[in-house]
Amino acid sequence: MNWDIAKKNFYRQGMRAFLNVLVTALSIISLIFMLSLLNGFQAQATRNLVATDVGGGHYRVPGFDILSPTEWEDHTLKPDESLLKLSDKDKAEVLVQQGQLYPNRRLYPVQIRGVSMEQSLLSLPLDNLKKYGEQIEDVIPGVVGVKMARKAHLKKGDILTLKWRDKSGAVDARDILIVDVGDMVNPRVDDGVVWLRLDHLRSMTDRQGEVSWVAVRNYMGPIDGVEFQTVEILMADLLALLKQDRMNSKILWAILMILVCTSVFNTQILNIFKRQKEVGTLMALGMEPMRIVRIFTLEGALAAIWALVIAALLGVPFFIWFQGVGFDVSHLSEASFPIRETIYPDYQPKEIFYSLLIVVFLVVMAAWLPVKKIIRLDPTLALRGRAIT
Amino acid sequence: MKAAFIKTSVVLVCLLTLVAPCVAEEINAQKLLEQLDENLWANKKFISGRLIIDNGRKIRTLTQDSWMEGATRSYSHYKSPAREKGTKMLKIGGKLWMYTPRTDRKILIAGHLLRQSMMGSDLSYEDMMEDHKLSHAYAASVEKMEEFEGVQCAVLHLVAHDKKTTYQTRKAWVNPITKIVLKEERFAKSGKILKRILYKDYKKIEDRLFPHTMIFKDLLKENTKTTYKFDVIQFDIEIPARYFSQSILKR
Repeated sequence: MNWDIAKKNFYRQGMRAFLNVLVTALSIISLIFMLSLLNGFQAQATRNLVATDVGGGHYRVPGFDILSPTEWEDHTLKPDESLLKLSDKDKAEVLVQQGQLYPNRRLYPVQIRGVSMEQSLLSLPLDNLKKYGEQIEDVIPGVVGVKMARKAHLKKGDILTLKWRDKSGAVDARDILIVDVGDMVNPRVDDGVVWLRLDHLRSMTDRQGEVSWVAVRNYMGPIDGVEFQTVEILMADLLALLKQDRMNSKILWAILMILVCTSVFNTQILNIFKRQKEVGTLMALGMEPMRIVRIFTLEGALAAIWALVIAALLGVPFFIWFQGVGFDVSHLSEASFPIRETIYPDYQPKEIFYSLLIVVFLVVMAAWLPVKKIIRLDPTLALRGRAIT
Repeated sequence: MKAAFIKTSVVLVCLLTLVAPCVAEEINAQKLLEQLDENLWANKKFISGRLIIDNGRKIRTLTQDSWMEGATRSYSHYKSPAREKGTKMLKIGGKLWMYTPRTDRKILIAGHLLRQSMMGSDLSYEDMMEDHKLSHAYAASVEKMEEFEGVQCAVLHLVAHDKKTTYQTRKAWVNPITKIVLKEERFAKSGKILKRILYKDYKKIEDRLFPHTMIFKDLLKENTKTTYKFDVIQFDIEIPARYFSQSILKR
C-alpha cells in the first residue's frame, strides 16, 4: 500500500524526479569509474614493478638504499648459498654501482646495473647482451632504456666512455657500446640506468660473486647477512602516492554525494511544502504521521533505486567500451610512475557493492531528513497550507 | 764539402740516437721523483691564488687563500665570487670539511663524496686534497726521453704501489736537469687517459722552482679546463694552530 502510493507520487513529480535520478546515476557512474581507474593504475604499476624490478621482494644487503648512490659501493656482498641454489626463474642477482657516462663528452651520472643473463624472473629487454661472452673484449656492451636514450641523446651503436670505481676505489674507464635501446615499461629501471651483464660489472669492479640484492619470486624466510624487503616496502612511495590519490578521490566523491543529497533534500522539502494540504488530508483521514513519513521517504528511496537502474543502463555499456580503449597515460612516462602504457580499469565487485550501498543509504537519509518534521505537523494548519512556511 | 757535412750530420744523428736511450737509462726515475717531491712539497706554505673554471660555456674565477702543512693538513678560504665568498675547506688527514656561510654549516666530505667535482671544476675534492707524495705512492720508471715545449724531458711512468690509489698509473714529463715536472697525465686502471695537468710559469722562490700556473683538463669532457694560478707563494711560514682546527669553520 505504502509502496503504491509512494510510486504514484514519485512518478507524478515528473522532471524533478528524473533530474534527481539522473544526477544520482551519473554520480554513481563517476564513483565506480574513479575507483576502478585507481585500482587499475595500482594493479598495473604493481605488475610492472614486479615484472621489471621487484619480483616477489628483494634480499638486500642491510643498509642498502637506492636513494643513497654514494653508499651503493659499501653495500655489496656474496649472497648466501640458499639464495644461489634457487633456479634462474626464481631469482635475479643484481649489482648496482655508481658510474659516469660521457655522451658527447658531457658528464652524465648513471646507475650501472648488472643483472645475470640467465635469470628469467625479471622481464627486461636485455637479449642483445646475451650474445656477448663473460670476458669483456674491446668495449663493454650495455643497454639503455628509451627514456635514458632520449635524455642522454644515445642510440643503438653509439660508443662512449663509462667511468667507475673498482672495489678498492681505483678509478677506471672504458668505452661502452650501446647494443640496444630497450623499451622499459618502468622508468625506475630506465631513467639514468645503464644495464650491463652481471659478470662484466663484477669483473669491472673486482666484485666477483657480489650483489647489491637478489630479487626472488617467493619469500624464503630470514637469511643471515641479508634483510628481506617486501613488494610493499619496495613500492612504498608509489603506494603512499596512491593512498593520497584515494584520499583525493574520496573528497571528490564526497562533493558528488553532497550534490546528490542536496538535490534529493531540496526535492523533498519542495514536496512537503507543495503537498502539505495532501499531508493534512491524510492525517485528518486518520493516517498515522509515521506512515506518511515512510511514504515520503520511500519516494526518495525510489529515486535511489531508479538511479541504480539508470546507472546500470548507462554505466555498463560505458564501462565495457572503456575496458576496450583504456585510459592513455603516455604523459606519465616523463614522471617516475612505473606505467607508460594505457590503463584499464579494474572493477572490484565488493568495492562497487559497498559504494552503492553507501550511495543508497545517503539518498534515503537525504529523503528522510526533511520529511521527518511531518510527525509534528498540525493537521488543521496543514489542511490550510500554513503548517510549513 | 757537402759530402763532409752530410757525413757529419749522419754521425751526429747516430750518436744522438744512441745517446738518448743511454740518458734515459742513466736517470734514476725513483730518485728523480723524490727530487720532484722535495721541490714541490714544503713543510709549511701559503698560497694566494685564483681558480679559473672554464666549463665551455662560462668562465668562473674563484680567489682563495690556502695554508698547507706537510701533505696532510690544509686550510683554504675562498674570497670571491660573492656566491662562494666565505667558503672554507679544512683538510686533516683523509678528511675534508667544508663550511659554507650561506647555510652556516660545516659538512664532512668523506668517502664517495670526495670523488665529486669540486665547485664544478675539472678537479675532484680528492684531486684537490691529494695527500701523498708521488715518490711514496708510485714506483717510477723512465719510459722515454721526449721533447716537450722545447725541453728534453724524461717521461716517467708511475705505477701505484697500492691498489687503493685512485689513479693506478700516471705519466710525468720531467726536466731531469731542473727537476721540475712540466706535464702530467693520469690514467684509469684500463689505461684510458683521464686527466692532463700542465705545470707552467715556473719561478724561483727561495731555493725552489715552483709553478705559478697549473692547468687541469678532464679529457673525458669537452671544452672544459680549470686553471689554478698562484699569485703569492710563501714557504716555511708560521701558520696559526687554529687554522687546522674545526673551530675555524664558522662565520
